[in-house]
Amino acid sequence: MNVGSSSHGLASLDDVVQHITSSNNPSTLKAYLNSFAPKESRETILASTFAGGQDPLALLDPSRNTLGYLYILSARLNSPVGATPSLAVIESFCSNFDPKQARCAPDRVTLLARGIVRASESSNNAKYALSPLFSLVTRYPPHLSYLTTLHHIFLKLCVSTRHFTAALPVLSVPITQVDTTLSDLHYNDNLVYHYAGGMALAALKQWHKAEEFFEICVSAPAQAPAAIQLEAYKKLVLVQLIQYGEIAPLPKYTLPAISRMFKATPYASLLKQYPMQINSLRTLVTKEHDLFQQERNLGLINQAIDRAPVWLIKKLTATYLTLGLADIGKEVGIDSPEEVREIILSMIDSGEINASISADGTVTFADPIPQFTKEQLDKMLVEAQQTSQELLQVERYMNVSKEYLTKVGCTYLLTPLV
Amino acid sequence: MEVDMMDEEYAQAYTAKAIGKRPKVVVDDAHPFELEAYISGYSGRSYVDHLLHIMSVCPTLAPQALQLAVKEALKGRDTTLYRNVFAAYERAHQEVPEEIPELSAIATLDQKWIDDTNAKNVAERTKLEVDLKTYTSNMIKESIRLAHRDLGDFYRAVGEQASSLKHYTKSREFCTTSQHVLEMCMSVLELLMEQRSYSHIGTYVFKAEAALDSATNVRQPSGPQAPAGAAQANKEKRHAEREKVTSKLDLATAISHLGQGNYDKAAQSFLKVGSPKGLEDWFGKLMAPGDIAIYATLCALATFPRPAIRSQVLDNDTFGMYIEQEPYVRELLEAYISNRFKTVLEILDRYTARHSLDVHLYSHMLPLTNLIRSKALVQYFQPFSSIRLERMSQAFGWSVEELEQQVVSLIQSGEIKARVDRQNKILKAKETDQRSALFAKAIKSGQDMQAANRKLLLRMRLQQADLVVKAPKGQGGMHHIMTHPSELLSGDY
Repeated sequence: MNVGSSSHGLASLDDVVQHITSSNNPSTLKAYLNSFAPKESRETILASTFAGGQDPLALLDPSRNTLGYLYILSARLNSPVGATPSLAVIESFCSNFDPKQARCAPDRVTLLARGIVRASESSNNAKYALSPLFSLVTRYPPHLSYLTTLHHIFLKLCVSTRHFTAALPVLSVPITQVDTTLSDLHYNDNLVYHYAGGMALAALKQWHKAEEFFEICVSAPAQAPAAIQLEAYKKLVLVQLIQYGEIAPLPKYTLPAISRMFKATPYASLLKQYPMQINSLRTLVTKEHDLFQQERNLGLINQAIDRAPVWLIKKLTATYLTLGLADIGKEVGIDSPEEVREIILSMIDSGEINASISADGTVTFADPIPQFTKEQLDKMLVEAQQTSQELLQVERYMNVSKEYLTKVGCTYLLTPLV
Repeated sequence: MEVDMMDEEYAQAYTAKAIGKRPKVVVDDAHPFELEAYISGYSGRSYVDHLLHIMSVCPTLAPQALQLAVKEALKGRDTTLYRNVFAAYERAHQEVPEEIPELSAIATLDQKWIDDTNAKNVAERTKLEVDLKTYTSNMIKESIRLAHRDLGDFYRAVGEQASSLKHYTKSREFCTTSQHVLEMCMSVLELLMEQRSYSHIGTYVFKAEAALDSATNVRQPSGPQAPAGAAQANKEKRHAEREKVTSKLDLATAISHLGQGNYDKAAQSFLKVGSPKGLEDWFGKLMAPGDIAIYATLCALATFPRPAIRSQVLDNDTFGMYIEQEPYVRELLEAYISNRFKTVLEILDRYTARHSLDVHLYSHMLPLTNLIRSKALVQYFQPFSSIRLERMSQAFGWSVEELEQQVVSLIQSGEIKARVDRQNKILKAKETDQRSALFAKAIKSGQDMQAANRKLLLRMRLQQADLVVKAPKGQGGMHHIMTHPSELLSGDY
């Protein structure tokens, strides 16, 4: 399969490997790898084997020859002809590569990640891509707070294979850094990552974090609304209903068109009615059942509806000190006192309300007493200090940035003229 | 012609008022209302206007009102108004055909008077318009102003408010002194109050105030009406004049706030109004002194805290002069101050007829009463840490259920910080542990702030990297992600 053989005067794979092993400067190597042959035949050469049928990867060491390994591996994974490398090879590369070298060729890393997913899908075992991708995502960026193109590939895979917990270590570090030299990002990478992250967190019932992820997606900087932002807004609203029983206002910088569009969907009418007595909410949902089903939000909607009595009861606690179970049932729209009792008990258990039920079915509500330990407070303080430190750094960075200085300089230069 | 147009407009205004309005006002022994005594406080157009309003909201009083209105309307020169009186009666009759006699049985339209008056009006209008034309061609500023003013007055008298307003405002261009501007503003204000176009009053009050300031300043060295040697007397006179205008402006502001539902501001402005002497030429023409007492008191009760009511309303000497006109108002205020809320509510109920038959108050009675009621409840509960609902209901003269409902809605709107013990029928004040509440709040805002920081930082970075969602080239919509996102997740790469 030596297509790009030396008969055409082109470099063969042997030459390439020769180069890889002898080079110790990643950037010159990269330049060579990007130019050793015409564009169309380059990938084919990289995906081929030695003239003797040996596997070039066996000669290379993933941690020392990361860049070359990366080129060959990614070419092989994406080539329609070359033999797909075994899982063990991929895994050993992903867990052993040298991040510094890999960062020289972000496009190849993205290509590699895509290739891994495709290979796993074609072998009908998408799960096996999870572990190499995880190593890739965690090892490639200098810190997990950097957004990369790998993030959304990994997250999408987690969600579509329903391995939500696998994503948690990545999701637990909020993205605060964006570096386009590290990874050739597109705005969709950000949107999809946060959307899929929100879905994973919502599936794990980590509502608070899910809310944040959806919100980031909805409020991402935009000149025109993206469909995924509208979808994220729908999910955001549902998550907020489950969590608070009402929605929080979107950040001011959100594109107004998104909430305008949202108002035209059946979700807005659901929102208006919420929290109502369960039965009326159910009829509303049955009416729009097909749409909710099709948009795959039915699960969240049902959870939100199941939570409705909780919000109604919570409202009652603010107004009443004591109430009979039957009275509560009437307000909430549940007939059997037993069911009401169960809901209240679960609310007391989860600490949502502070109440007690006496033998004759009277519920006595008390104020929830917020408790804080010294450790909690200390932790808060440390976090606050960290945040302000970070902000200080950002400010300093800003102060030396070129745009800022030119702006300041400009006004300074212009004033004497005026 | 124009007259017909106005006729329709006017009639529409009244039908719109009559249709869809809440229950009709009932006048009976429990809610007494002396029509004759009430209406005697007004004169001219406002006399008829009030009666028209009464006819539209209280059909049972219509026959009596009709008689009075017809008599008064015949004194004027506004034929539209005259016809409206009859039309209003017709409508009242349609609503309660059994209770009041047919129109034809009590009054007939005096067609001759209408024709005569119309003819006279046309003649005068032609004369005034010719005058204006002559002055305009001669470019005599002062005369043009006077001509506009006269036309304004004329149109106002015949009930064409729009044309009247047009001429009044036109006259402004020809004003040479601020005194003239002031005069114009006052005429417009009267007109606007008659028309009940509350939202425009503010602008003219503002203009009038500016004119008033410069008028008093300019006249300082040598006013047109300053006879030499009588400087002191002149100064006093000017002062009185100024007071008079200020009173009027305060009143106009107050009415405009009331009309727009700003009860708090309305009460403040009503209480600023000076002594009745300054307003003499507006009484009757626009309102009665008793009206001011009622408006101010109701607005104050609905919005002021108790100490303010005592110091600004009850102990206010100037305002006392207005209260004298309506003795029950003092009773109402005193009952409120001494916490006899049952009496307060009884008085309010007893005088609902009086209040709802008032042109300005009519649409605000419901919100005002509700506000007063909830304020009374809040006030009553304030000193207690817990109270039996039964006792509270006695104090207000309601049933326990009714009271509970009221209290619950107040708690839900956050006006009363308390909770109801449904089982034992007790209302208990909420005790908050300020310390832990503060901690909770601080921690929550800390967390919120950090989250916001994080998100903003990311947003900033995204913008710096230009990762901004853009509409795809060639199409403006949101179709650049054609598939549904949930499909994206399982789709191919």
